[in-house]
Amino acid sequence: MSGWYGANLILVQNTFIGLVLALSIQFPMRMGVFSFTGAGSYGLGAYLAAILVIDHRFPALAAIAAAMAVSLVVSVLLGLLVQQLDGLYLGMATIAFCLIVSVAATAGGDLTGGPTGRFGAISDFTSGHIYVIAVAALLLVALTEFGRVGRRIEAVREDPELAAAVGINVRAYRLAAFAASGLLGGCAGAMNLLARTTITPVDIGFSLVILALTMIIVGGIRSWKGALIGAVVFTWLPELLAVVGKWEHVVYGALVAAAAIWMPGGLYGVWSDAKYRYRVGRRKAPSGADRSGPRTGAPELRTVGEGVAEP
Amino acid sequence: MLQDLLGAVTLGSIYLMFALGMSLAWGSIGILNFAHGSIFMFAAFVGYLVLAQSPLSLIALVALGVTVGALLSVLVHVVAFEQITRWTKDHRTAEMQILIGGIGIAGIPLALAQYETRSNPFGFTQSSFQPTVHVVGDLRVSDLQVLIVVAAAVLTTAIALWLRHSRQGLALRSIGVDAEVASMMGVNRRRFAIVTMAVAGGLAGLAAVLYTFYVGALTPESGETLIIKAFACIILGGVGSMAGVAVGAFALAFAETLVLTNFGGLWVDAISFSLIFAVLLLRPAGLFGKKAVRRT
Amino acid sequence: MNANKLPWWRPVSVVAVVGALLAASACGSGEGGGAAGPESGDGLPPVVRVVSTNPVTGPAAQNGIAANEGHHLAIKEINESGFLGDTTIEMEEVDTAGDSQTAASELTKAITDDSVSAVFGAVQSESAVAQAPIAQNSKMPIIFTQAGSDGVVIGEYTFRLTPTMNVYYPILSKFMKEQGWKTMGILYTAATPSLEMIGEETLPAMAEELGIEVVSSVATQGSTQDFTAPISQLLKDDPDGVAVLLIGAANPTAMTQLRQAGYEGAVLGSAAAASGVLDPAGEDGAGMVWPVGYHPSMEYEASQKFTEAFREEYGEDPMFNSADSYDAAWFFARALKRANSANREDIQKALDEIAAEPWTGALGENLTFTDRILDVPGVVVEKTADGEKLLYYASDVEE
Repeated sequence: MSGWYGANLILVQNTFIGLVLALSIQFPMRMGVFSFTGAGSYGLGAYLAAILVIDHRFPALAAIAAAMAVSLVVSVLLGLLVQQLDGLYLGMATIAFCLIVSVAATAGGDLTGGPTGRFGAISDFTSGHIYVIAVAALLLVALTEFGRVGRRIEAVREDPELAAAVGINVRAYRLAAFAASGLLGGCAGAMNLLARTTITPVDIGFSLVILALTMIIVGGIRSWKGALIGAVVFTWLPELLAVVGKWEHVVYGALVAAAAIWMPGGLYGVWSDAKYRYRVGRRKAPSGADRSGPRTGAPELRTVGEGVAEP
Repeated sequence: MLQDLLGAVTLGSIYLMFALGMSLAWGSIGILNFAHGSIFMFAAFVGYLVLAQSPLSLIALVALGVTVGALLSVLVHVVAFEQITRWTKDHRTAEMQILIGGIGIAGIPLALAQYETRSNPFGFTQSSFQPTVHVVGDLRVSDLQVLIVVAAAVLTTAIALWLRHSRQGLALRSIGVDAEVASMMGVNRRRFAIVTMAVAGGLAGLAAVLYTFYVGALTPESGETLIIKAFACIILGGVGSMAGVAVGAFALAFAETLVLTNFGGLWVDAISFSLIFAVLLLRPAGLFGKKAVRRT
Repeated sequence: MNANKLPWWRPVSVVAVVGALLAASACGSGEGGGAAGPESGDGLPPVVRVVSTNPVTGPAAQNGIAANEGHHLAIKEINESGFLGDTTIEMEEVDTAGDSQTAASELTKAITDDSVSAVFGAVQSESAVAQAPIAQNSKMPIIFTQAGSDGVVIGEYTFRLTPTMNVYYPILSKFMKEQGWKTMGILYTAATPSLEMIGEETLPAMAEELGIEVVSSVATQGSTQDFTAPISQLLKDDPDGVAVLLIGAANPTAMTQLRQAGYEGAVLGSAAAASGVLDPAGEDGAGMVWPVGYHPSMEYEASQKFTEAFREEYGEDPMFNSADSYDAAWFFARALKRANSANREDIQKALDEIAAEPWTGALGENLTFTDRILDVPGVVVEKTADGEKLLYYASDVEE
């Protein structure tokens, strides 16, 4: 067991770091905020951590904290700037933000190391740190799926006007989405830098946005479970596909496309749909309303009379 | 100065032809096709493969490129996008599925071309057509540049006029405004979607052939860079507006050339991204666009 | 189940998972201090294993594939000639796909594999920079080729068989002098550190020494595809000569557009334009000149031997990557013989010993290592209408 673990250590680490990155984009999506600020914060966090650790000898945890703090501020500012936007336009604007971060990284001269990036960030960071931080982040995000907070988040996503009418401060919730994605993204980026000891502009940028988006779309956007599934799948998939040799990229693209086409709720959606159907199949339906049906990943048509969780 | 102007106009025409197809699909049937860049590249790649067998002329290459582009685009639509829109009821989710589906599919032609070329550049050296340069006073103009500018202008005008004045154009625009009502009025959404994607793909193929002659060499990754520029053009000009895309394409090309001649080449990318960002902040609908913004 | 209350087994399972992971990370082979590799015993084992981590797919695929071919050819020779007695070398090729994280993770796997004695590092600088600290900390001998950037040869376990480009670029001075240029323009990409350094420091310094004035210097990004505007900037003040330091397709594009802009003269380039990269430019590509560590026309006996063997094995001329990696594999084999052991520490010492002696191989005769980097003098090559022509050797340049 420990032999396998040691040989695949980097992949295990990447899975946890990828999870935090995926959460940074999934959490806003759950609120209906189509924002990629998490990916930009990842870049900011990674470079900031690099500068602090290499140039100023910060200890690992302090660097992570600083990266998270700065990303928080930048994300909230960004959130304030783009308040008016929605849907794909918001997505575009936040993608532009990510790209601006990567251009700044390339053009940053000696501070960011230009196209080579920064390397040599040796610190007291261990895998244990990664696991604990990632799980803590996961717990916090998962907790927001329950109780009043969970219901309000659903409301803000499904029907913002109604939510506002009921007294929920929609604007504050949406800003909170930006704040959270900043914290999570900055954390993931800093952890990545500390684990890999190097960061280059190639690592942060459009391909990062695509990776994060793919993770949560294929994993499932409605829940942290989707983010977890996505992180695991996409960290290990290239490894598994290496067997296919030169056709690895074709198969990868085909799998992503297939998941996007046939699994709108992501893998988690497929699983929870199956679970639901199994439960309903086992139970003989009495008079209609099945209130304890779980939320599934797939969007459903709500018909009057069939109960699903109310706000 | 004049030379730089000509360069910027040519560049803008290239961006325009590439972005036109994307804007058409996005504005009318709501499909943001991320595989557009890959289709573009593959159309040129097929041209390169065929050229290895026989030296085609410019016309033949263009016809080949347009056909390949159109076919690929329709294929992608039928296999992926149509399925997604059929199975997903929530429009927001469908948008994202289409985005990811496009990205996934884009990887396939990319990988095929990379395998064949080992990611080395390829071009049209074996074609019987090679651009010739004419010197007019202080200005050096190649016949290819003229062709590119004219093609872009003619195509954009033709499509804009068709959209505005023909019955089919009206039908297409109505799908963009409200797809449900349009189909209730008898518009065959599926047929229009296929035609639109075919036209978009054909435009990509045409742009690809001309572009390959212009820059001399393409790599399998060339299409991806252009996608981001296309976004900038479309966002700047406004989704769904042909005039908007044209303005966006030339504005971007001129801005990039200006930055390069005055501040150096490193800030060119920063320009497109900052432009997207600024437009989205100040006027999210773009210069000519019509979509409303959030009010809550 | 009430969807609003947290079920009891969730927090428990989380704690269990975290506990398991912490336990695993504590007692597992750990952060790279662990595996010692093959034992240091008496003599060489029957099979010695080496892993090559190189990009077989991705933008640098051509270089990675060429590197593997060179490694492979050398190892075949070593095994067939009985250079190591009854011992054979077995090489495993792993694809880094041009991604640094994959390169790092494949290296880690090789490190924890006790049967692996050494690693051939990735040819791309970004990947090499990610691999070097891991190899050094884990005491795994790693031999790089190309990967010309700082942060690659950082300790006693890291070696590289090619110097950074700025070390041999100055042999172009002879060519520049012969052209008789008084002014020149430099077009370069800031996306690759080696080319950026040449464009901003090395070449201007060479020009100054020759009394050539640099009248225009244009930097472009990696994403630039249309060079019309940069070239018009480059030629604005009508320089006598021009340097184009770009990667990939930008080379044929720049040559095509240079000729269209009216510049007919010679162009200083870089090895990034070698081996078919310029072919899409057709005739416009002729006239580009660059220094490179190896060329098939090199006449040293050892180089010729390599060139012929390669031609026979693969049916085409070798790229410089193949020559580099061929020598790298022989470097490793000689260390194995010297150490008479497959143990990583023993091999490292042997590599150092061999690096202290003159080196003869495909890259040249009686070359020296400085700080574990091989000093390759290089040759200057010109692109002609039907191929490449060797112009002169570094030794032809008078100091």
